[in-house]
Amino acid sequence: MSRILILGAGRVGSSVAEQLVLEKYDVTIVDSNPALLKPLADRLDLRTIVGDAGSPATLTAAGAADCDLLLAVTPSDEANMVACKVAHELFNVPTRLARIRKQDYLGHPGLFNSGNFAIDHVITPAQIVTDYLVSLIETPEALQVLEFGAGNAVMVAVRIETGAPVDGKSLSDLKVLLPKSECRVVSIYRKNRRIRPDGDSVLHVGDEVFFLAAKRDIRKVLHEFRAEDRAIRRITIAGGGNVGYRLARAIERDYQVKLIESNRERANWLAEALPSTLVLCGEATDENLLDTEQIERCDLFLALTSDDEDNIMSALLAKQMGTGKTIAIINRSSYVDLLQGGRIDVALSPAQATIGSLLAHVRQGDIVAVHSLRRGAAEAIELVIHGTRDTSRVIGRRVEELKLPSGADLAALIRGNEVLMAHHDTVLQADDHVIIFIDNKTHIREVEKLFAVKVGFL
Amino acid sequence: MSLLTQILPPANIFLDMDVGSKKRVFEQIGIVFENSHGIARSVIFDSLFAREKLGSTGLGQGVAIPHGRIKGLKDATGAFVRLREPIPYDAPDGKPVNLIFVLLVPANATDLHLQILSELAQLFSDKRLREELAAASEPAEAWKLISLWEPYSGEAV
Repeated sequence: MSRILILGAGRVGSSVAEQLVLEKYDVTIVDSNPALLKPLADRLDLRTIVGDAGSPATLTAAGAADCDLLLAVTPSDEANMVACKVAHELFNVPTRLARIRKQDYLGHPGLFNSGNFAIDHVITPAQIVTDYLVSLIETPEALQVLEFGAGNAVMVAVRIETGAPVDGKSLSDLKVLLPKSECRVVSIYRKNRRIRPDGDSVLHVGDEVFFLAAKRDIRKVLHEFRAEDRAIRRITIAGGGNVGYRLARAIERDYQVKLIESNRERANWLAEALPSTLVLCGEATDENLLDTEQIERCDLFLALTSDDEDNIMSALLAKQMGTGKTIAIINRSSYVDLLQGGRIDVALSPAQATIGSLLAHVRQGDIVAVHSLRRGAAEAIELVIHGTRDTSRVIGRRVEELKLPSGADLAALIRGNEVLMAHHDTVLQADDHVIIFIDNKTHIREVEKLFAVKVGFL
Repeated sequence: MSLLTQILPPANIFLDMDVGSKKRVFEQIGIVFENSHGIARSVIFDSLFAREKLGSTGLGQGVAIPHGRIKGLKDATGAFVRLREPIPYDAPDGKPVNLIFVLLVPANATDLHLQILSELAQLFSDKRLREELAAASEPAEAWKLISLWEPYSGEAV
């Protein structure tokens, strides 16, 4: 059993702690604020320690000398860096992960190597969230786009809307609609309940469908799932913080981008830093501003400030005034559930988007990626399988022979550069990357064990 | 003579080591081989952990056989540790572990090394041997038990 030490009981720290406790890890969580620890201690089987993250005394009390992995996710970059250094120097903690936000540090990756701050993996939520948003802009029909196998395979979540070609069709019909492209429907959610897809499953308006396909086939497949969406050319971003700035920088060459920032000084800086973006100084919740800027002609409105309420209000307002599609960053998970699929098209929780990258390092196995789906209720994992027929439980076996727990499905595998949809008679080979969809997260440990090598693997 | 005689120096028997976690065991082992083979303890430590990440080396019945490939190591070598208190180890039967055999092999492991590993697995599935190892009072006694053990001679669990 792995012992995990988490520093910082904020949104990310507490969500990861909760997930790891569920997966039966031995978790200790540290925060200087007892009020953040209390609700965790009341609800979950974990240890809580009040103290400063980088303090040797705190780390001693938290059992750093016996822990397998340290996760430094306090709000302070500096505290996270010092904690990793101390954990390495004084406690020899084998694996150290830290969240680092400031570009100032990120611009000097040498700072993190083992001779310096000794951080094995740096997690930058703003970059993760930006990548997530860019993928949604490139694939506007999707609720979520996940890449696997270095981008060769893509899993997409879409909601079936009125007029979609697949409405009322079964999955076997889909094969007729898409004779040449290989596409696998991995899961269907109807009124928040999962339907395990088979050939007879019929798709309906309102269904949320996860499908997987090779990247080159994505457009063709989406064409069947969605009626024509409004093409995206004009984009308005509300909030010029870390995410807003990174996103504008990533897309300003390919789209017409307006960026609304309320802080005058920051707005001036952004205007300098973003040559092709029109930076406006003002409040995104200001109707007059949106009206003057012809928000009705805007194809996509992204509300990316750090304030949930502002994001919700500005996104609702923009939608009301005629914007094509709206995406909002919403931190509070109860708000996310309330709003997504209603008048806000996509509600994105940065903590959920970040957790996957942390879990990928914590879990057992050669895990390439973990993506949280449906606000953390489900998960998609990419892992590499190792061993031989004798030292593995999966290599040399057909997909139908795998003892996968219920709610877990092997969707596809990537062999070399080739994306292969998993069929019942597909035989797994060493070094295959497998993509697994897990609807019931209580079974993750079983999936892990199934794909782990046996003792005899050298 | 079993393969194990050749890889287990009599000095590498540690009875009733007082550490509370897998991590501390790996640290101690790193120090042992740093001293005997001049390989940096961190190399050994990291290699053992990297292997553990791919799948637990817990065997069940309180036994684990952590192992790793070590760059710069010429011949396979090992160490046996009996812990004062069992530690959590993510073993298939969920039981904590108190008998640990650490096996280090050269980076380009061969069939011989796989054979050693499988011999270790056989040895520790011998219930009587486990009991004798648990009861041994001197390192020399434990060394003898492991070194003189004959494959297939014991009764399996």
